[in-house]
Amino acid sequence: MRGTILRKTVRFLSSPRLAIVLMAFVGLWGVLGSFVPQGAADAPDIAAWAAANPALEPVVSALGLHQAFTALPFIVVGVFLALTTAVCAWQRTGAAWRRSKTLREAAKTGSALAGSAPDLEIALDPALDAADAIRIAGDTLDRLGIPTKRGDHSLLSVSPAWSVWGTGVFHWSLVAIIVLIVLGSLARSSGQMGVAVGQTVEDRAEAYGELEAGPLYRWQGVNRRIRVDAFDLDYRTGEGENEIHHGPTPTVSILNGEGDVLESQLVYPNHTLKRGSLAIYPVDYGLSATVALIDPAGDVTQRATQLIDFSGNSKDGTAPISALTLSGPDGASYQLLVTVPLDRVAEGFLGRVPDVPRAHVVIIAADGTTALDAEVEPGQTIEVPTGGSLQVLAVDYYARLQVVDDHSVPPLLVAGVLAMIGLGVATLVRQVLLAARIEDGPDGRRLSVRMRLWRMHTTSRGEIEDELRRALSAAEGSAS
Amino acid sequence: MTAEVLVTWATLLLYAAATALSGIGVVFGKEKLIARATAVGAVGLAFQLTALGIRWVRVGHGPYLGFYEVAAALVVFVVATFVLLAWRQPRLASAGIGVMPVALLLLGGAMLAQGTEVPMTGKLTSVWLGLHVAFANLAFGAFVISFGLAIAYVVRERSKTGEWARRFEKLPAQDALENLTVRYVLVGFFFWGIMIVTGAIWANEAWGRYWGWDPVETWSLIVWIIYAVYLHLRYTLGWHGQRLAWVAIAAMPLSLFTLVGIPAVFDTTHAGIGGLGKDL
Repeated sequence: MRGTILRKTVRFLSSPRLAIVLMAFVGLWGVLGSFVPQGAADAPDIAAWAAANPALEPVVSALGLHQAFTALPFIVVGVFLALTTAVCAWQRTGAAWRRSKTLREAAKTGSALAGSAPDLEIALDPALDAADAIRIAGDTLDRLGIPTKRGDHSLLSVSPAWSVWGTGVFHWSLVAIIVLIVLGSLARSSGQMGVAVGQTVEDRAEAYGELEAGPLYRWQGVNRRIRVDAFDLDYRTGEGENEIHHGPTPTVSILNGEGDVLESQLVYPNHTLKRGSLAIYPVDYGLSATVALIDPAGDVTQRATQLIDFSGNSKDGTAPISALTLSGPDGASYQLLVTVPLDRVAEGFLGRVPDVPRAHVVIIAADGTTALDAEVEPGQTIEVPTGGSLQVLAVDYYARLQVVDDHSVPPLLVAGVLAMIGLGVATLVRQVLLAARIEDGPDGRRLSVRMRLWRMHTTSRGEIEDELRRALSAAEGSAS
Repeated sequence: MTAEVLVTWATLLLYAAATALSGIGVVFGKEKLIARATAVGAVGLAFQLTALGIRWVRVGHGPYLGFYEVAAALVVFVVATFVLLAWRQPRLASAGIGVMPVALLLLGGAMLAQGTEVPMTGKLTSVWLGLHVAFANLAFGAFVISFGLAIAYVVRERSKTGEWARRFEKLPAQDALENLTVRYVLVGFFFWGIMIVTGAIWANEAWGRYWGWDPVETWSLIVWIIYAVYLHLRYTLGWHGQRLAWVAIAAMPLSLFTLVGIPAVFDTTHAGIGGLGKDL
């Protein structure tokens, strides 16, 4: 009973029609997904698309096409495609094994397919010498792209045994790629964190502004810190005409739990910082202000770094990513907002950092009233309504880094390379076994040809027959 | 600039002449004209290589940034593949009736839509990008040849023993012609696969993700799947003849749309590479 179900399942999954239908679905789904904006339902471009296409939106939303490539129909079809590919790979492995065995034996013994009926028989004129017939047939096959090894009465063309493994390797690699993509998405962490110059950030979930971590990703095992040592607004390499602008470039270090530097380098596109499964890329940058809160006794009670993004809509040209919370002596809470005013010109803001960097400090009370609004230069200290004073320690850049911890990338690359090797063998290498022999029988002398053209695209069975007949009949002394 | 423009216009005229000669040669059964069409196409190729060489020196990078360069490089690979094929197997030269018009229209369209030059930036200085673009060009060259052979197959098949069968009589037998079409699809499928893999590696280095369902990425996968369907139809369902040829004919324009249409139309990370002068 169990065997029957398994056989039926395998038969269903090995159906070429099913594979084609699944591939067609993925293709069609991809087309639909590419014409519809992708993202969360509340994203501005999706809302704009929905407003512009009120008739289509309900259907698109119901099908999940705004998240086309994580939608249930796509995932289900993907799983079935992986299963059909695996079954197909298994079957191709069996076929490749049998074919490679046949090719190995043919190469070893110098003959092949002797037990099978000839695919083609050409009667030869008895006056035509066997050696001449072999020469003519060999030349003809050579011209058709089938090189042959020639004997006195026979011809043999045997592809190397490895030539038949290409398609199996390709399909198994595809299975591996699909499995690795799924495992990778479950066990990967990928997110963006902002790190000011000079700041060291513990690598944990709370440190990220945006984070996608798979359910199998374990933060307990992560014991490292990330530091930005320096920042170059436009890092350049080369000179003169060969000078290349790499754009905003931070120098990033990875440190272990004890604070030892494990890796450190400039990070820009095509020059990512990698250590094991961890990779760090630059995404964007902004400004930062580091402030210290000092109590009336002169002790630093809190030290904080405010990350500040550029903002064309704000008065200063910058806006803090989030507010810091302060507690006043009366127990009331205050919000501390720090921006960096950019230099203005008639057309807008002059540059991405002011000539004289300074922090614009605003403290807002719980009732919404402004308790403090002052511009403070680095090193300067001001009294704050919460008691004590606030000192601006530094105004600098911060780097927004994409931090990806993904063990699946290296094996994915290996699987991709293997897939291409397999595909290359499957598509570019001949898979041919052809044996021709002069045989004398009661009806006279004839050339018997037996062939397996598993992958042979320079010619065809029909053309081989036509060309051999034409060449042998044109030979002097031939009557066929 | 002037020399580059003049040589490019000369290229366009030569491709137009090759297209006309190929068409007249096939329609009126003039073998000499078909052979001359290939020779004129080869001269046009030399002119186009010269024009792109001048541009390369002027802008400081190879032809792979911006719509014009991407389309022009595709044309180079299409014509070079065809000239090589016709030189090695002259019996296939009449497939130029399907190939040369594609080259002519693509180059003409690229010249009309010529956008601003895209400056070389750090994001574009990757060996993976070079490989990615090179294999895209190679794949497209193979797909256009398969398209031309499939057109010849269909025309001859529909004519059977009629006029058009006689006009294409120098071509190999129909089954061998179909095999050749499949061969070029296979080669294109392989190169397209390498294009996807090298693109994923480059994206991982440049953007921090190997796949992002960007419209160009999605469409390149769609085209790969369409050709995979073609190969499965042939090898597992045993499709032959016209209906298989029609799949090859329908698939090629989609590969063209993916390479030059999508970056020009969609908001994509490939906009600076294939788009109409947008920033990357």
